[in-house]
Amino acid sequence: MKRFITRNAPGYTFLLPWLIGFFLLTLGPILASLYLSFTKYDMVSAPRWVGWDNYVYMFTRDRRFWKALDVTFNYVLLAVPARLIMALGVAMLLDKGLRTMGIYRAIFYLPSLLGSSIAIAILWRQLFAKEGAVNEVLSFFGIDGPSWITDPHTSLYTLVVLAMWQFGSPMLIFLAGLRSIPRDLYEAAEIDGTPPWRQFTRITLPLLAPVIFFNLVLQTIDAFKTFSSVFIISHGNGAPADSLLFYTVYLFNEAFSFFRMGYASALAWVLLIIIAVFTGLAFLSSKYWVHYENERD
Amino acid sequence: MKITRRTLLGTIGATAAASALSSVPGLAADRTIRHYWWGNPERDKRTFAVIDLFQKHHAGIKVSGETIGWKDYWTKMATQTAGGNMADLIQMDYRYLFEYVRRGALKPLDEYVGKSLMVGDFDPGPLSGGVVDGKLYGLNIGSNSQVLVYNTKVFADAGIKADVINWTREDFPAICEKITSFTGGKMKGSDDLSTSVDIMQVWVRQNGREFYDADGKVTATAEDIAGFWEYWAEMRKAGVVAGKDKTVVINPPLGETGIVTGGTAISQFWSNQMVGIQALMKDKVGAAMFPHKKGGAYGQFIKPSMFMSLTRDAKDVDAAIAYMNDWVNDPESTKVLGLERGIPCSPKVRAALKPSLSDTEKDAVAFFDAIQDRVGKLPLPEPKGAGEVYELFTRSASEVVLGNIKPAEAAGRFIQDAQDIVDRAR
Amino acid sequence: MKTNATDPALELELIKAAERAAAMRQKREASARRGRMLKHAFLIAASLVMLYPLFWLLSASVKPENEIFTSLSLWPSTFQFDNYTKGWNGLPISFSVFYINSAIVTVLSVIGNLISCSFAAYAFARLRFTGRSFFFSLMMLTLMIPYHVVLIPQYVEFLKLGWVNTYLPLIVPKFLASDGFFVFLMIQFFRQLPRELDEAAEIDGCSPFKIYWRIILPLSLPAMATAAIFSFIWVWEDFLGPLIYLNDIKTFTVPLALRLFVDSQGESAFGQMFAMSVTSLVPVIIFFILFQKLIIRGIATTGMK
Repeated sequence: MKRFITRNAPGYTFLLPWLIGFFLLTLGPILASLYLSFTKYDMVSAPRWVGWDNYVYMFTRDRRFWKALDVTFNYVLLAVPARLIMALGVAMLLDKGLRTMGIYRAIFYLPSLLGSSIAIAILWRQLFAKEGAVNEVLSFFGIDGPSWITDPHTSLYTLVVLAMWQFGSPMLIFLAGLRSIPRDLYEAAEIDGTPPWRQFTRITLPLLAPVIFFNLVLQTIDAFKTFSSVFIISHGNGAPADSLLFYTVYLFNEAFSFFRMGYASALAWVLLIIIAVFTGLAFLSSKYWVHYENERD
Repeated sequence: MKITRRTLLGTIGATAAASALSSVPGLAADRTIRHYWWGNPERDKRTFAVIDLFQKHHAGIKVSGETIGWKDYWTKMATQTAGGNMADLIQMDYRYLFEYVRRGALKPLDEYVGKSLMVGDFDPGPLSGGVVDGKLYGLNIGSNSQVLVYNTKVFADAGIKADVINWTREDFPAICEKITSFTGGKMKGSDDLSTSVDIMQVWVRQNGREFYDADGKVTATAEDIAGFWEYWAEMRKAGVVAGKDKTVVINPPLGETGIVTGGTAISQFWSNQMVGIQALMKDKVGAAMFPHKKGGAYGQFIKPSMFMSLTRDAKDVDAAIAYMNDWVNDPESTKVLGLERGIPCSPKVRAALKPSLSDTEKDAVAFFDAIQDRVGKLPLPEPKGAGEVYELFTRSASEVVLGNIKPAEAAGRFIQDAQDIVDRAR
Repeated sequence: MKTNATDPALELELIKAAERAAAMRQKREASARRGRMLKHAFLIAASLVMLYPLFWLLSASVKPENEIFTSLSLWPSTFQFDNYTKGWNGLPISFSVFYINSAIVTVLSVIGNLISCSFAAYAFARLRFTGRSFFFSLMMLTLMIPYHVVLIPQYVEFLKLGWVNTYLPLIVPKFLASDGFFVFLMIQFFRQLPRELDEAAEIDGCSPFKIYWRIILPLSLPAMATAAIFSFIWVWEDFLGPLIYLNDIKTFTVPLALRLFVDSQGESAFGQMFAMSVTSLVPVIIFFILFQKLIIRGIATTGMK
């Protein structure tokens, strides 16, 4: 028993703030939302138990639920890889040499600073309008572009472009990761005459794997939960013609516009499970491609 | 680093609590009421001024003014409602009133009327807009009506002399055509209003029906809706209203509407929004009714643009009612408020405001006077789920505008789905 | 060696070789220069795309109200610089107050995040204890739940604690490692540090805290700087938390105050809102520039070899 305590004491001591926060602040609301997902709850009167009704309705009768899933999956599959490749590429460019890189780092982070502000919403609608700047550029090449943002066939891509353009946070994390790779490894490789691309696959990729893994997981989670930018660009309703009906936008409206917090909670738990499956798969696969320094034997 | 984690945490907690506590209302005055409204800089300025006036007149009552923009207002409101922590007095919208009343979040005002809430000389019509299921749940703090706002300069330049109060459904396409051809297609006649729930409702009323009956049954017919969508489809085909890529944007902010961007000469609003639109435009704007059906009704109605409501969580009801009463009666307060929230219900207040109105406000009042004899009765209170039906409508209309579905087919499906939504919400 | 001018042929060879080498060096340098120039050209072009929204915002902040939506030109017809002064005092409370409020919340949150998340991350990444992977999964779970459905239960909880309309709901969770993002981020970096460091320190009799403080933290400067930047930016720009928990306008933070300028359905002051948006970027950019240096310098100074 005593050994058990001495073995576990340091771990739990350091984990204490998190444990307090989790059990006192976080766990309760999460369990509450799970409970609410089995109720009819309009946020004014008390919740009423309805069993599996919400879930049954969702899968059997709710057409918009499927539409929201469709939109969200499309977005995740397009935006996550695009953003990560963008972020990694730029981070590697900014990592090497050049003293002036500080200013570029700041500049490349700027779009992410503007986040999902009202300015971005107005700007994006102007840029991708029929007579917007994007089409003006395209007309140089003789292309007559559609009204990107209000055409249901193309509106989702404008959000993907936004995601690519706001690659600041994964870029910064990549950069921190690249900076944590010991320089002498590259120097040694240089002396051995290893060509740059092999340095990339032999040194950079394996040592960056934990960070790549982090970005992959977190960006996927974030993409599934994308809310603010879409909400503000589509004026809160997923228009045109539900082509921007992201899952969380749908969930938000079910909860706060239509007073169906119970149903929204059920939607949330379905999304949670979807994300958990993806994250779980990522963790499983990581055994094969992510190796940690301190666990290498 | 000398400071340990614990002392650091302690100090932080203390300073945070102290700085936050100092601004918690209610420590100084012994009676406190909270008033929560959605606003903008102008409205906030006026409302805080009224709060100051009230506190001066009623020493001992402190009013905590809480404000945020429309979109965030309802999220916060729902959260506070769920937590049982609603402000004593809240600003209510006509569309949300029923939702909140029917769920038991508001208290009726009837017992105070004539005692501490003096509304005896108010216009009965607009006042009754706050009645749900026989009880008064919302005090009208301004009225408005549907309005087509048009660009007077373009109308004059194109030589259009229309009677914009009495024009008909048949006149409208011709005028749109004239504007479009006058500007060489650069400016279309009007926004395409086929996604507008407000105008659809007017249209249905012009046909002699209401959208819902008293039991919450959808009484508008598929023919009404199909006719409405076909009306606009034809103008769309003729190219005299805004194109589909403009129309499928739902609830654009004022700044992105056709009349403000110069894409069209006519857009649809509520009459209390006129000042806001004029502020965004160089050309002078005018107010028109939606064209009526020849020989039929005008379809429009005057409704409360905003209410003040007493909530379930109100503690000091007397103080709250006193505040409400000052809002609609006190000469100083009503003067500060002006027409910003809509046209006041009290004839006395209106008369007192008359001399100090701005040009646009004068136009709004003139429009209001002109439509008085032409508007119909207020529609009956809507059933639960009405908000969702509205969204369904805009969505279905978008599909029609995009050409994904024929108006008649979409209309049939819409009426069916609308009824389902109302039934599900019951 | 006596190669000295004894064999002219050899000398010639040597000179030629030296020339060849120089030429090659020159060529390599030239190509490197070309590469650098190409890189710069690319970066500058990309920067313009990246900077466009800032230009747009700057221009919108001095445009007359009616031009923001109608004119696509970045050059305003007249410059309304008074949007800045009017905006600063345009609300019932001056922006100085909102800045102070935001600064309190943000600085405390950054401190809280860095301390508590690095604690938790250290436990997860370097210490062994029963239930580690269970708690780790729970932490990941908190990242996945859509926050709108926990909003109300959380509000009720803080209401019971009497914390609504104070900064406590915004700050206290930060001291309790509530943001799994930072915990996970730090875990990934901590796990990369060689195990031998801890082992050596342990043999020297270092306590786990000393290892955390003396070894792990200094070696993770890039990660800590990254976390500091993100938590500063995210808290500074956070809108939903302040919206729900702050009622009194005197307690509003900057993002909340910015929303007071705009009424999508009525009179707004977009120019002033944009002017204040521009000023609200200044602290963030300064913080970013200061801390991103740490990301870059980090590993060089600690010399992890």
